[in-house]
Amino acid sequence: MRGIQLSFSNTQKLRLEKALAQLESISSKVNSNATVIVADTIPVDEDAALKGHGTLEMGKNVIATVCGVVERVNKLVYVRSLRARYKPEIGDIIVGRVIEVAPKRWRLEINFSQDAVLMLSSMNLPDGIQRRRTAVDELNMRSIFVESDVICAEVRGFQHDGSLHLQARSQKYGKLERGKLLKIPPYLVKRRKQHFHHLDQYGVDLIFGCNGFIWVGEHVDVKDAMVEDQVNKPDPQNTNSASLLGSSEEPTYTPLETRQYICRIANAITVFSALSFMVNLEAVIETVTLSLSLNLGVHEMLEAEFHVQVAEQEAERRCTSSRRK
Amino acid sequence: MVGLSVGEKNFIKHGIAQDLRNDGRKRLTYRPIYVETGVIPQANGSARVKLGATDVIASVKAELGRPSASHPDQGKVSIYVECSPTAEPSFEGRGGEEFSAELSTALELCLLGGKSGAGAGIDPSSLSIKEGKVCWDLYVDCLVISSDGNLLDALGAAIKAALSNTGIPRVQVREAASSDEQADVDVSDEEFLQFDTNGVPVIVTLTKAGRHYIVDATSEEESLMSSAVSISVNRQGIICGLTKRGGAGLDPSVILDMISVAKHVSEQLINKLDSEIEAAERANEEEP
Repeated sequence: MRGIQLSFSNTQKLRLEKALAQLESISSKVNSNATVIVADTIPVDEDAALKGHGTLEMGKNVIATVCGVVERVNKLVYVRSLRARYKPEIGDIIVGRVIEVAPKRWRLEINFSQDAVLMLSSMNLPDGIQRRRTAVDELNMRSIFVESDVICAEVRGFQHDGSLHLQARSQKYGKLERGKLLKIPPYLVKRRKQHFHHLDQYGVDLIFGCNGFIWVGEHVDVKDAMVEDQVNKPDPQNTNSASLLGSSEEPTYTPLETRQYICRIANAITVFSALSFMVNLEAVIETVTLSLSLNLGVHEMLEAEFHVQVAEQEAERRCTSSRRK
Repeated sequence: MVGLSVGEKNFIKHGIAQDLRNDGRKRLTYRPIYVETGVIPQANGSARVKLGATDVIASVKAELGRPSASHPDQGKVSIYVECSPTAEPSFEGRGGEEFSAELSTALELCLLGGKSGAGAGIDPSSLSIKEGKVCWDLYVDCLVISSDGNLLDALGAAIKAALSNTGIPRVQVREAASSDEQADVDVSDEEFLQFDTNGVPVIVTLTKAGRHYIVDATSEEESLMSSAVSISVNRQGIICGLTKRGGAGLDPSVILDMISVAKHVSEQLINKLDSEIEAAERANEEEP
């Protein structure tokens, strides 16, 4: 509730509270023990339990030092805190923004406690050829990504010093253009098999970065981008100027209809994150459909009434799904 | 603030050209505005205005003072803005000072009228208590808590709301013995006079990005702006002040066009703001 910057009327407030209470009643049945707040006692079976992050031993009890969910791995007991920065895991798909072009690497902001590193050697070159990266490649790094570009990559692993390395060894990774970046709390994005989504009916690409950065943009065919890059590749000097020219007076606009869908999807996600609901593809599409069926304008989705409706819809959805179980 | 990539910038620019901005608004649509009054108990009047993620507080403090020699029959109003470093890292240390000064100057230009006193939102002669002796000095202090573009409009709205929340104690002047002596006043702590805020204008900032201009730009959109014109318009549709930011020049015809658009937009904004202020005041009365 704290994050919502809206003024609700009294009836709306009541309806929202009712929906949220309903949601809470469903979730509390499942795992009331798992969520803890500061100074809650964590039940530990044996003395030999390893106490991990967010726990503290006080006398005979183990208590939580952060708010979150208790996780148990074998003997290890730790608390996974909510509303924290993103904690990367190997294989995560993330969306990040380049903040620095350094020797042989790009540094990316990904809402982790450190900047992530994408090495020149751990990404496919635009021409698609596997070869050693030369000094010329290094000089031409800015023709691939420049500062403040939004790119999509995969978490490759941690170095010994704790820094995070990324890789982009496929055509589906790389620069994202023609769309908008949304930032939501990372705990609202669940790790799934599929993070790249092409919504055919809307002509929109949707990428759920595990770090809470979500990209909503016009659909791009991966192949086309490659051909274009190949054409541009021969002379790096030209590539630079061509890409600059091409981007400054891009002749084709995003079609208005596609843009409407992009904005609708983006607003749906904003509403979800304001209500602290898990963001996933089905929920987003459902919300977009709801807004379309209510005949709402794109911007009206950000108003109080729609927040309430989304909360009610979510409550209903989870009720029926829990009943089915 | 993290910069935007070329792709994103183009996306926003094209969106403005297509009259569908990134959050789904049209070029001349404001974000939802939210007003809360009476947020600072020590002040004579205060208000908090949220415009999307932009969040500002304005407070009005009235003090007894001496009128200036040039205008013995008028009170004084001064506006100060402070940008909290929590709003944006660049406001930290001395970084915010310049920006704060720019905002205060712009607000004074927009709300207090010219040197001649024409176009003043707050009538300075209504602050006079005894000519040449005592007057009210109004200190309007604004704090920027969170910034997501269009600070000037939000501050203008907050000041308007704070002024309509302001109660000034009724003052009785006892007849002073001689003319050069300090006037003897009796400040009532029970009776308060409300301000007439009908004349206080609202500020409409038109931000030019690409070939078009938009109202209520977010900070993302502001990063694309070539120039921005802030026009303050009162209820009668009269222009009370105008300032311009940004490096790029503007054609006079464009400015005239902007003014007429601002007049049109301000009507809706004033009505919206009035109803919000009224709702906030009502909410205040309900829960003392």
